[in-house]
Amino acid sequence: MPNFNIDSTKNNTFDAIVIGSGMSGGWAAKEFTEKGLKTLVLERGRDVTHIKDYPTTNKMPWELKHANKTTFDAQKENPIAARCYNFMEDSQHFFTKDKEQPYIQEKPFDWIRGYQTGGKSLLWARQTQRISDYDFEGPARDGFAVDWPIRYKDLAPWYSYVEKFVGISGEYDGLDILPDGEFLKSMGLNPTEEYFKKVVAKKYNNQRHVIYGRCAHITENKEIFMKQGRAMCQTRDLCRRGCPFGGYFSSNASTIPWAQKTGNLTMKHNAVVHSIIYDDKQEKATGVVVIDANTKETTEYFAPVIFLNASAFNSNMILLNSKSNRFPNGLGNDNGLLGKYIAFHNYRVSMSAEYDGNLDITTEGRRPTSGYIPRFRNVEKQETNFLRGYAAGFGAYRQVIQHADGLGEELKQSLISPEYGNWRVGSHMMGETIPKEESTLSLDTEKTDQYGIPLLRINLDYDDNDEKMITDYVEQFTEMFEAAGFTNIKAHDVPDKAPGLDIHEMGGVRMGKDPKTSLLNKWNQLHACKNVYVTDGACMTSTATQNPSLTYMALTARACDHAIKESKKGVA
Amino acid sequence: MKRRNALKSLGLITGGLMLVPSCSFLDKRTPIVLNKLKISEEEEILLEEIIDTMLPETDTPGGVSLKIQNFVWVMLDDCSDTETQNTYLAGLRSFNTTVKENYGDDFTDLNAEEKLTVLKEMMQSESLNPQVLSFLHTTKNTAVWGYKNSEYYMTNLMPYKLIPGAFSYKSKTINPTDKININA
Repeated sequence: MPNFNIDSTKNNTFDAIVIGSGMSGGWAAKEFTEKGLKTLVLERGRDVTHIKDYPTTNKMPWELKHANKTTFDAQKENPIAARCYNFMEDSQHFFTKDKEQPYIQEKPFDWIRGYQTGGKSLLWARQTQRISDYDFEGPARDGFAVDWPIRYKDLAPWYSYVEKFVGISGEYDGLDILPDGEFLKSMGLNPTEEYFKKVVAKKYNNQRHVIYGRCAHITENKEIFMKQGRAMCQTRDLCRRGCPFGGYFSSNASTIPWAQKTGNLTMKHNAVVHSIIYDDKQEKATGVVVIDANTKETTEYFAPVIFLNASAFNSNMILLNSKSNRFPNGLGNDNGLLGKYIAFHNYRVSMSAEYDGNLDITTEGRRPTSGYIPRFRNVEKQETNFLRGYAAGFGAYRQVIQHADGLGEELKQSLISPEYGNWRVGSHMMGETIPKEESTLSLDTEKTDQYGIPLLRINLDYDDNDEKMITDYVEQFTEMFEAAGFTNIKAHDVPDKAPGLDIHEMGGVRMGKDPKTSLLNKWNQLHACKNVYVTDGACMTSTATQNPSLTYMALTARACDHAIKESKKGVA
Repeated sequence: MKRRNALKSLGLITGGLMLVPSCSFLDKRTPIVLNKLKISEEEEILLEEIIDTMLPETDTPGGVSLKIQNFVWVMLDDCSDTETQNTYLAGLRSFNTTVKENYGDDFTDLNAEEKLTVLKEMMQSESLNPQVLSFLHTTKNTAVWGYKNSEYYMTNLMPYKLIPGAFSYKSKTINPTDKININA
């Protein structure tokens, strides 16, 4: 049946294949389809169509059977997913259940996954801070990992490009450490946060900054958002349910429907990518092997360019599992570094305190973001006993003390008689961690999952640098809180909290200048297989301290532009 | 509970006439459907009476008309581990004996005022059977949670807005005479 085979190959051939429809995959889909490329997006999870598949989005609190608590069974069956702060009755359907994809924890690691259209872009915390040259130059200056092959100027126009489409609420702070972007109106800091900002600026001679956290919420009506069918953020603060207004950015609300409208997008759901096919003769990747999650049938799809956006660990897995004569240890893995130099963000510690000023003021309404403190440690030069530093979230709210005294009429009265307390202030650390060769992902040689794909082994832990950083964060924030006259200052370190709940796992397929010491070049192409691009968290050479999604989006748009230009040259 | 007593006597007569001595029929109750817990109708009624005492009907709806008893059962059924469930049910099942030992009557036979006094005393007692004490405190805490999450409370007493609108977040100077809305 030669004709049938030819037809089937033809039907399964596209101009580009994008593996994953999340934060970065959605961008690849948008960029390629917009430029006229017939694009196949492979999503291993189910379809989640914007609005239609947000089952809880318009529920009132009393319509949730368990008052937004997850059931005992849901927690017991999903000990990993249930540890995520966002795993609630109204959002649990967007989390991949633990049994879907078991993995081996050589050391404890909570791997949070969201397999569906849009991936974790439905669940993210929407903080969008740019990475600066202080971050890009970090590894070279401090002697860890390898030098990034790009600098801020390479990415800056792509940050702008992405931000204008995403919609970023922010303030122009003019900080080198955290470059400004294309901002829409700020939702503002509250008076206690503003007070802390002034105290910190004064005490540290304008070397430490408390700013409004830049976030992916639309706060001004613009044509570009209307074209996407997105409206202004209605400050519901229910983002985890999926936003019916498209007020925050998700692939579901933005890039995927945009790509669909071009008529050039083909999306396959329940499409678990087994591996990328490498052709020894053509010396390039020709397609991917996909397993249907329901039928377990295997299909091959072909394209001259392949974008790997499966999420950091899954992108590593797919490359490690893509074995050929040319690449017996995984696609592009000539130097044996694939799956190594994994890192994450250290979110283990937080602080809380009270403030007894501003007692004549309160806030009302809900703000889906908070304050942000960019890294202030080791910025210009090494000055502590640990490498790099940390950014921090910061927020204040007026405490309302809710009573539930007595029984009977007294109790009912008590329940409608709340009182103002002090302001409560809080901060959490977002620490850069050092990618190390011994921090690895690998495939188990025996155990496989329900699709016959080898189980992932994760070997990652906090190190001495992380511990020193935690100590310093607590010391510095205690000092800053004391300077502001805050009281009841407490540090909350949870030493047995495994890495992973930051959901910022990165690396394993790092970018670099030298094919001997890195996997990807400055355009996110595999050095050894240039028609495969990796533009999700796996590509990160170092982690910086900033929430990384914005950077993945910018890198993706930039890499797509490169791939399109290369294809016009007839190289790819 | 005069109402219940009245219903009961009425029920006995009717039941006698119809030769159907079924309590559930007499009270026209539909038993709550639970996934794991097996509870009797008497236990359902007892919890309802306790919640009616803790959050009575006044000029605003009480716990029972807001069906908070169902919330308490559902949370215990779906969101608690077996040990918590067993402890709770053990406390509930010792409750009547404890009341009878200390006050000489079944809880259900006390009038509303007496019920309130009894619950208050029991919850403050230092010598109370710990399971009963824990049962009462869990009931109160869960009932309060359900009450504050109820449509009535979140609509009439502390109004919640699902869609506050753009830029709803504001700071304001407190007017001491204004009531605080915890859901504002």
